Amino acid sequence: MTRAVLVAAVLALVAVLAAALYRQRRRAAGLQAQLDAAASELQHLQEACSRLAPAGVVQRLVADGARATPEVAAERKVVTALFADLVGYTAMSERLEPAVLARVINGYFQRMSDAVHEHRGHVSTFLGDGILAYFGALQPNPWQCDDAVRAALAMRAAMRDYNVELAGEGLPALSVGIGIHRGPGLAGLVGSRERMEYAFVGRTVNLAARVQALTRVHKVDILVTEALRPELDGCFVLDPMPAEMVKGVDEPVVTYAVRGTQGPVAPSR
Amino acid sequence: MASTLERVPWEACVLEPHRDPALESYVKKRTGMSSPVIGYFAPAPWLAKALVDLHPEYGLLLRLDHELKDLVQLVVCQENSCRFCYAAVRAMLWAQGMSRERIQRIEGDLTRADLSPRVQAAIAFGRSQSRTGPAGARGAREALTKAGFDDDEMRELAFAVALTDFSNRAHTIAAVPTRPIERIPDALLTRLLRPWINRLVRRNRYRGRATPLQRAPAPPYAGLVQAYAGSPIAPTIAGALDGMWASPHLTRRCKLLMLAVIGRGLSCGACAPELREALRRDGLAEATLDQVLTHLDAPELDPLERLLVPFARETIWYEPAPIQRRARALRERLTGPQLLEAIGVAALGNGLCRLGAVVRDPA
Repeated sequence: MTRAVLVAAVLALVAVLAAALYRQRRRAAGLQAQLDAAASELQHLQEACSRLAPAGVVQRLVADGARATPEVAAERKVVTALFADLVGYTAMSERLEPAVLARVINGYFQRMSDAVHEHRGHVSTFLGDGILAYFGALQPNPWQCDDAVRAALAMRAAMRDYNVELAGEGLPALSVGIGIHRGPGLAGLVGSRERMEYAFVGRTVNLAARVQALTRVHKVDILVTEALRPELDGCFVLDPMPAEMVKGVDEPVVTYAVRGTQGPVAPSR
Repeated sequence: MASTLERVPWEACVLEPHRDPALESYVKKRTGMSSPVIGYFAPAPWLAKALVDLHPEYGLLLRLDHELKDLVQLVVCQENSCRFCYAAVRAMLWAQGMSRERIQRIEGDLTRADLSPRVQAAIAFGRSQSRTGPAGARGAREALTKAGFDDDEMRELAFAVALTDFSNRAHTIAAVPTRPIERIPDALLTRLLRPWINRLVRRNRYRGRATPLQRAPAPPYAGLVQAYAGSPIAPTIAGALDGMWASPHLTRRCKLLMLAVIGRGLSCGACAPELREALRRDGLAEATLDQVLTHLDAPELDPLERLLVPFARETIWYEPAPIQRRARALRERLTGPQLLEAIGVAALGNGLCRLGAVVRDPA
């Protein structure tokens, strides 16, 4: 009798232990699955970050982990900045229904961004109806000036096609002004604790925006500065514009209107 | 054992596989195994042979640990989003007994604690070279020195990274089918045969022996080959280059132009001057050369060169699906062997430049 009780007790103990082991294993498997999912998520995040900031910056921040500070990854570099802005947006925004306006503006942003990406640029930010893009910021790019001007020409062509679509829907045509300037600046992650972005800070960006504003003065759609001109392929047709004073710059700014290309067909992707 | 890379968009292969019994037996003799994809590269035998001969697995490494080399190759493939090579290295690690969990941890780069500082430094070097190219070489080298790597080990590590960059581009741009190799660790048969595959892999990989250079290397890339003098890597790179120059599908000038563009794009101080000099010797006027390197085009180029110069630039930084679509578009204007040779030249140029950046200014 005693022996039977003992065996039963041992069996019960074994059963309890087995159940506990089973539960632990299931828990461990669950935790492993969560860890795998987190690892996968982190990997995706890291890949996504690599598209928003130079790989080297992401790498340094990831490598430093909790000790990482954005300041460590800041660097000086020469970049080509392209600033594009819709002409007549304010007037149009007052005439269209919000839903229609949002669709029109999103279509515009998409087409312009595609043109920038197609030519190895990086859209840094949308400022109202404006677009700020960089060439040579994420990866070294010795062909950044040609790329930026080709992107601007692609934006012009995309805008033409988009206007045909808009006209088909009875919507007003859009037009865009584009300013391009090349120069040095500070590239890195900037912002507040709550919101950071990879940005290029300095006079180069400001001047690109000012040059964009000059497109209205000169009644052209694409303007490049003197800093770009010697770097550009001879296939681009450039017209010199009268020098103009702009805010924040002591000397008059010399610009060139980009008419198109001539001679050999420019390399395309 | 699904990986995050399996979600990377991958186009249909741009090449047709060809049976080449001589090439197949060459591969089997060199590696002890047959390759299911070597037929895709058969129309450019120099490229097919380079992919085998330059593989660090087979008699090229004197010092570097093979497992460390495998781990570095894994992260380089991950950085380059090469689904094919990544699956191949992953399958190799799995076959050798590494658990799926450990492989996934290394991929996720999450639990650094179970990797020694030496392994971490090597992995960081691989990532750095793939992501930032030669521009990040100096910092990466310093980190390796701190982690205790000597110059010989560093050179072999740089070679493993460069070879992987080469292989990644060759397989990615051609969009070599990935599914069969991605399925290897999950197939019942390979799971059952895992111990045997492990033995086979270990039996076929072998260390190299010091090998003197038989002749002074010819430019371009002479400095780079010379930097590996004494290692079996030097004559192997020289042999791959000889094969590339001798291949008839693209002209020597076209190859040089492609390589020079890649050298400029990566700011390769070791390769770019030699390539420039070679083009000058080939009769290209200085002004034309400047025009090509600055604007990727010149009226003096022939139609094939005008297609392939911008293509070479696109192989420096890329995402798989767009570069594969670009290669498909080229396929309509080139013969199959021409396209394959162009892919091979671009891939080799990218690999060599990344190597050159490390060799140029030894730590």
